[in-house]
Amino acid sequence: MSVTAMSVPTQPDVREKVSAQEWQTRVDLAALYRLVAMEGMTDLAGTHISARVPGTEDHFLLNPFGLMFEEVTASNLVKVDLNGEKVMESPFPVNPAGFTIHSAVHMARPDVQCIAHTHTAAGMAFASVETEVLPISQTAGYFYKRIGYHAWEGISTNLDERERIVQDLGDHRGLIMHNHGLLVAGPTIPAAWVMIYQLERICRTQLEAMAAARAMGQDVVLMPEEVAMKTAANFDQSFKNAAEGRSNFDWEAYLRALDETDDSYRH
Amino acid sequence: MTAAALRNTPSVKDEVSAEEWALRLDLAALYRLAAKHGMTDLTYTHFSARIPGDADEFLLNPYGLRFDQVTASSLVKIDVDGNITLDNGHSVNAAGFTIHSAVHMARHDLKVAAHTHTPAGMAVSALKDGLMPLTQNSMRFYGKTAYHGFEGPALDLDERERIIADFGTDKHTMILQNHGIMVCADSVRQAWTRLYGLEKSMQAQLLAMASGAPLRMPSDDTCAHVAAQWDKGDATNFLDGWESQLRLLDRADPTWKH
Repeated sequence: MSVTAMSVPTQPDVREKVSAQEWQTRVDLAALYRLVAMEGMTDLAGTHISARVPGTEDHFLLNPFGLMFEEVTASNLVKVDLNGEKVMESPFPVNPAGFTIHSAVHMARPDVQCIAHTHTAAGMAFASVETEVLPISQTAGYFYKRIGYHAWEGISTNLDERERIVQDLGDHRGLIMHNHGLLVAGPTIPAAWVMIYQLERICRTQLEAMAAARAMGQDVVLMPEEVAMKTAANFDQSFKNAAEGRSNFDWEAYLRALDETDDSYRH
Repeated sequence: MTAAALRNTPSVKDEVSAEEWALRLDLAALYRLAAKHGMTDLTYTHFSARIPGDADEFLLNPYGLRFDQVTASSLVKIDVDGNITLDNGHSVNAAGFTIHSAVHMARHDLKVAAHTHTPAGMAVSALKDGLMPLTQNSMRFYGKTAYHGFEGPALDLDERERIIADFGTDKHTMILQNHGIMVCADSVRQAWTRLYGLEKSMQAQLLAMASGAPLRMPSDDTCAHVAAQWDKGDATNFLDGWESQLRLLDRADPTWKH
């Protein structure tokens, strides 16, 4: 019976088996899982966040399937290849079908280290109406003209869909996946955190603004195109800095918040 | 009974079968998960589970406890005629008995029924279009959702016949119009994934509709195809993280297992 199977397998020796860079990636990725949980962006144990193992082209870290994000740790992340096959021993299963979207993007975009995908209420709602990310706020500048749109094709089990996902993403920072959810492609794990956090807020903000405006018989007010482009260019510079590995205060502040409540992700 | 006595129901573990005890644990966990995810309404609404075997008996929450106070032993065993068949000092809510006994009388294929009054559920239950198959997440309810008109609080037992008629034989979810929602399932863990999935679907639908932008409504063929994919995956996948959720419940407060 399920209620008696109550222990998570532990792997105390993972740290000794991997490079220092891989261990750091594991700690950061586990932290990102915890932060997504902390901000209420999970869908039970569904959806994935993946990270490329530094120094490799085709090894990735993924969540142990069946664990809630609150139970993900540096050691229990599973190392897989492009097909979602395990390349290092692990007592946990992975969800290869769910990883196909991620592997397609990782293959096509060597500049992307971390991909995060969510099914939040605001993300699903935004993805289910005929709209795009509009320049209605400074925050929208993170993704204004830097995000692609992917048409709904049913639950992703068809490998052909990978090509269309790659095409729709292009060189953008993320995808609105119609009738499905959100995806961001970050140059680093800390950048992916800022991106998924902000894309969530952009969707919610725009839906609320549209609802209020339309109820009053108005349209939402867009900033002038020139200002929108200037704002987006400003964020381009932040992402460039992130890609070069400059410190990210947002990430450090959120790690402190995690460490103060539960630092078990580091194990 | 005092509040402390309500919370500290003596264990019934030795008075029930091993199967019933396992079911009590799962059902108590379902109450705690709904509480954790903010799906409660004071001490109201109900989750029930049919006792394995031939007798039409089921477990229902002890009236007067918050969901975060329900334990395996405080769940009330009752038959479809309203007789409490194991006295643990608790009683049940009459309206809850009406709705849940209807399901357990008529649909022996469905072992568990969960009914909520969340704002999103009540709002969708007040919409002309009801629940829409707008997202991958909501398509699992496509073709599986029944509607039942509101008749006032469900205190008349003859409403059961109309609930049964509206539910039919092939649906697992019901929109109780101007009232809330109910999901049914083969197991407690499946009821929880459906309840969670429905809640999220309804929140997304309301945000999408309120935006005023045209909806990207998938075709009926797509919805039917995806609903079938959900049906196939439902029984076997790990998406629910059930055991992981039980561990997280334990970490916060293990009293549900008492």
